[in-house]
Amino acid sequence: MKLSYSLITRRTFLNTLFGGWLVAFFSGTFYALMKFAFPTLGKEPDFVVLNKKDFIGLANNSIKRFPWGGTVGLYYTKADGSVIALKGVCSHMDCNVDYKPAEKRFYCACHQGWFDENGKNVAGPPPKPLEIFVISEEGEKLIIAKKGVKVELPKA
Amino acid sequence: MNCPRLKDWLDERYDWEGIKKLAKSKLIPEHRYDLWYYTGGITLFLFILQFMTGMLMALYYVPHIDFAHKSIIEIVTKLNMGWFFRSLHHWGSQLCVAFLFIHLFGTLLLKSYRKPREMVWVTGFILLGISIFFGLSGYLLLWDERAFAATRVATGGAGAFPVIGWFIKAFLRGSMDVTGDTLLRFYAFHVAILPIITLCLVGLHLILVQYHGMSVPLSLEKEKPREAPFFPNVFYKDLMIWLVVMGVLVTLTVLLPPEINPKADPLAPPPENIKPEWYFLFLLETLKLFPGEILGLNGETIAILLVAGAILFFFLIPFFDRKSSRGEKSPLFTWIGVIYLLYFLTMTAVGYLS
Repeated sequence: MKLSYSLITRRTFLNTLFGGWLVAFFSGTFYALMKFAFPTLGKEPDFVVLNKKDFIGLANNSIKRFPWGGTVGLYYTKADGSVIALKGVCSHMDCNVDYKPAEKRFYCACHQGWFDENGKNVAGPPPKPLEIFVISEEGEKLIIAKKGVKVELPKA
Repeated sequence: MNCPRLKDWLDERYDWEGIKKLAKSKLIPEHRYDLWYYTGGITLFLFILQFMTGMLMALYYVPHIDFAHKSIIEIVTKLNMGWFFRSLHHWGSQLCVAFLFIHLFGTLLLKSYRKPREMVWVTGFILLGISIFFGLSGYLLLWDERAFAATRVATGGAGAFPVIGWFIKAFLRGSMDVTGDTLLRFYAFHVAILPIITLCLVGLHLILVQYHGMSVPLSLEKEKPREAPFFPNVFYKDLMIWLVVMGVLVTLTVLLPPEINPKADPLAPPPENIKPEWYFLFLLETLKLFPGEILGLNGETIAILLVAGAILFFFLIPFFDRKSSRGEKSPLFTWIGVIYLLYFLTMTAVGYLS
């Protein structure tokens, strides 16, 4: 039935109302379900604070691992004694990389990716270099931070 | 067995004779390719076994990052028959995926997916995807170093998908990285979410197969093949084949129990010669083919997109293959099927041998 001055029929009006109600109900339900199922994500740390004495006097051409959030960071003493810190996670598919002292390169066993001394991807599938961190010291503490992050330690 | 009173009881309430007649009326065509019909039944049988052994595992498994690995070691070392059922669950899953692939390629090459059976293909294909996710999620429950690396790669790979990648990755992991949250999440997928979806889809798949009847290959359609009743002729054959499969399964179970690697350590690199399950090898080899950068673009993203595209095309083959849906021969899609099969087989072999 359609009144002469009406834009839509009564049937269209009711269908729209009912359909709209169904859409609203199910999208609301779905939204709530997904909201619950999707985790509240933590954040990758901006920096970590380590004990300096654990990292003094490491052999040249070796790495020492430290926890970086849920993953791993590498404290790398190069063959010439200089030191850098990198994220030990392959830029390809997130596997942990290992250091090969004989070749002086980092190796990812998952898909045979290689990175050189400075973390640059040199062979295999990795698309990007390893992330390099900034090392700084404060008293007894060794602070390893993401590049460009301002480190503010809580006042003790 | 003859229980007249039980028979009467049923007869008075249900149309027992009608059900019998219905069962008798189900006919299965007999021809030189009819062996392929049994692959679906074998998969069903293996699914049932997986459900049963899985329920047994769930009685003792502890889905917690600190106890998961230990609880599996206790299942295989301390519990009565624990080693047997854990090994049976492992080998059941291996055979399950193997027969799913055989069933898939049989359906593809005989073009049983053609009109009007597209939805049988669609439900079956989704079941294959779910089974692979079953494999992946079940594998992480071990919480050993290989499972840990495999999960990082699989979820990290999903993360390389443009636009929605980060969402899938975070949803699967339950956190930024593969952690105890991921273990719990995969446990929920493995024992609650996926089984329910599987039950519904298997039910739908079977109902559709009953509704359409068995597909006869195009080349034999005109010959009008002989038909045998499902009950009891074909059903007995099914049971015999299931018995053989059971024999193979138990032999593998007893002779080759799967190893348990050392507990996962998020700081340690994965073992040197790490390899995923055999049904991921073709993906791994494909990923290795792509360099890090292609014409200034991320090679990984391109690889993932190509693989996803190839799988999507495979999934939609019944809708692209217009010729066979009209009942004509379509050699193009036979070749496409053969290429997919050969690619899968070679890449799996390369991955296995390298």
